[in-house]
Amino acid sequence: MRILIIGNGIAGGEVAFGLRRAGSADEITILSAEEAPEYDPCSLPYFLGRDVPRTRVFRRRWEDYPAAGIRLETGDAAVAIDPEARRVHTASGREHPFDRLVLAHGGSLFVPPIPGIDRPGVHRCKQLPEADLLDRHQGSRAVVIGSGAIGIEAAEALKKRGYAVTVIEVMDWILPALFDPETAGRLKRRLERCGISALTGERVLRIEGTQAVSAVVTDRRTLDCDTVVLATGVVPGVALARTAGIEVGRGIRVNGRLETCVPGIYACGDCIETVDACTGEDAMFQLKHNAIEQARIVVRNLRGEPADYPGAWAFARAHFFDTHAVTFGKTTRATQCELGELEILEREAGDDYLRVILKEGVIVGGQAIGRFADAAGLLIGAMWRRESIPALRARRELLAGPPPALPWTVRKLGELLGLTG
Amino acid sequence: MNETPDPKSFIRVIPERCDGCRRCEIACSMGHCGIPTPERSRIRVLPLPRSAGFIPVLCQACEDAPCLKTCPMNARLRTATGAVVTDEEVCIGCRACLYICPYGAPTVSPDDGKTLTCDRCAGEPGGPWCVAACRGCGALEALRPEELFPRGSRAAAQAVRRVLSPPRRRRCAS
Repeated sequence: MRILIIGNGIAGGEVAFGLRRAGSADEITILSAEEAPEYDPCSLPYFLGRDVPRTRVFRRRWEDYPAAGIRLETGDAAVAIDPEARRVHTASGREHPFDRLVLAHGGSLFVPPIPGIDRPGVHRCKQLPEADLLDRHQGSRAVVIGSGAIGIEAAEALKKRGYAVTVIEVMDWILPALFDPETAGRLKRRLERCGISALTGERVLRIEGTQAVSAVVTDRRTLDCDTVVLATGVVPGVALARTAGIEVGRGIRVNGRLETCVPGIYACGDCIETVDACTGEDAMFQLKHNAIEQARIVVRNLRGEPADYPGAWAFARAHFFDTHAVTFGKTTRATQCELGELEILEREAGDDYLRVILKEGVIVGGQAIGRFADAAGLLIGAMWRRESIPALRARRELLAGPPPALPWTVRKLGELLGLTG
Repeated sequence: MNETPDPKSFIRVIPERCDGCRRCEIACSMGHCGIPTPERSRIRVLPLPRSAGFIPVLCQACEDAPCLKTCPMNARLRTATGAVVTDEEVCIGCRACLYICPYGAPTVSPDDGKTLTCDRCAGEPGGPWCVAACRGCGALEALRPEELFPRGSRAAAQAVRRVLSPPRRRRCAS
């Protein structure tokens, strides 16, 4: 069988090499628009900040592909799929036939329609060539547009490189998709203590310069700079799927087996729309662990072993200089348009902060900074088990009783949430 | 790689027997760093609330370990003996592996902020140092894999999982 994989990122690589690990003798081809063996986009900010050498961003080497009998075609983007003829057309005019197709081409940076956004000096940090360009760039004053995880990581990297860095966020708090304002406010203060200024609730109007960038103008001020980094979020790539008449929503729509509405065409990674494994709701968590798990489900289905994808899960860490924070599940904002009684449990000790979001007595999400974050795994476990926190409160004496009254993880959870009294 | 892995390469914890002496922590630190500092130990003895006992915590090397999938540097590695360890050359000290761990098992090194986990003292002729140090109360045991996972326990675990797994919402694209 000829299996064609579009995209050589985490998901695509995991499908190709996962098939071989599972004993597949199929003809496997990966089609990549980029000119590199598989690398990890999560690693790029640390290469940029010179925490690790460039070689460490790669998950595979060129020679790994022929060694596994996988054909890798780089530097040629897929532009159209003909589902009847079972062929993929590329930008260079080539055609690739397939029996099974896997769409794993991820997403692309959302580029806001800001005047001057294509000036020299406006950089991105999503793909390796973009990180390389930013790495070679000589500048001293940087403005990062967007304060998501990538924005904060890029800001830290540039700060380590000696830049003066300002982060601009259009929402009222930093890391708005990952953290509640209460947690984000504490993180913002810590960011500013590290010498990175963060401007929230501020909109970029235009990027100025005669040729290269000289300033960013917002609705409140003008920031002189010679470097701009766009970290404005990732949108799933759906254009290619549309050429095959595949149903798309926010991302490519797939069924429980990660097959699109065209039989034999699967999709996984950042390009798909999926469900939250914990709640069953529609979700888009474009995170590495989800891409890996989805790819493994695709492998099993391609191998003729029907497998259902349980859904994606939200988990992210935020880390800059000596600040360590974690977030999982839903934020308060994500629960706001739902029914059900919300309860927020908070704990604070010095610089450390814990915030747990309960809905109907069950943990649905949480955020922690510092020491409290070390126990995040216990909270995540309780969220997955749908542990009733009011029931634990009522069993206070068991939480503190002799073993084996309750599993130690539950007892430690009780201690963490301050239920042991 | 090691062709014949250490036959007794699994460490079983029996918390009821732990008296909280923390000799395992000192032994671990000695074995790996040559200095007796519990902060550098890959096993940690946690006290339970209200003096209700102790729980020695160490990496369980989960079969589908979440830390392997969440590390941004791909620095978490599965060794030939099945242990899951941090490649300290690549680790950037972000603690993702600690935060996603159901047990909070990884230790953050006080020296460089990188994470440390149990490698089961691979290659040590006497077996894991913590187990050797725990002879008094016997809360730690070194076992062969088949002793730890008796036949049938896996099937039972799968059955429990089927019952407990959350309801899935199926959706068809067509």
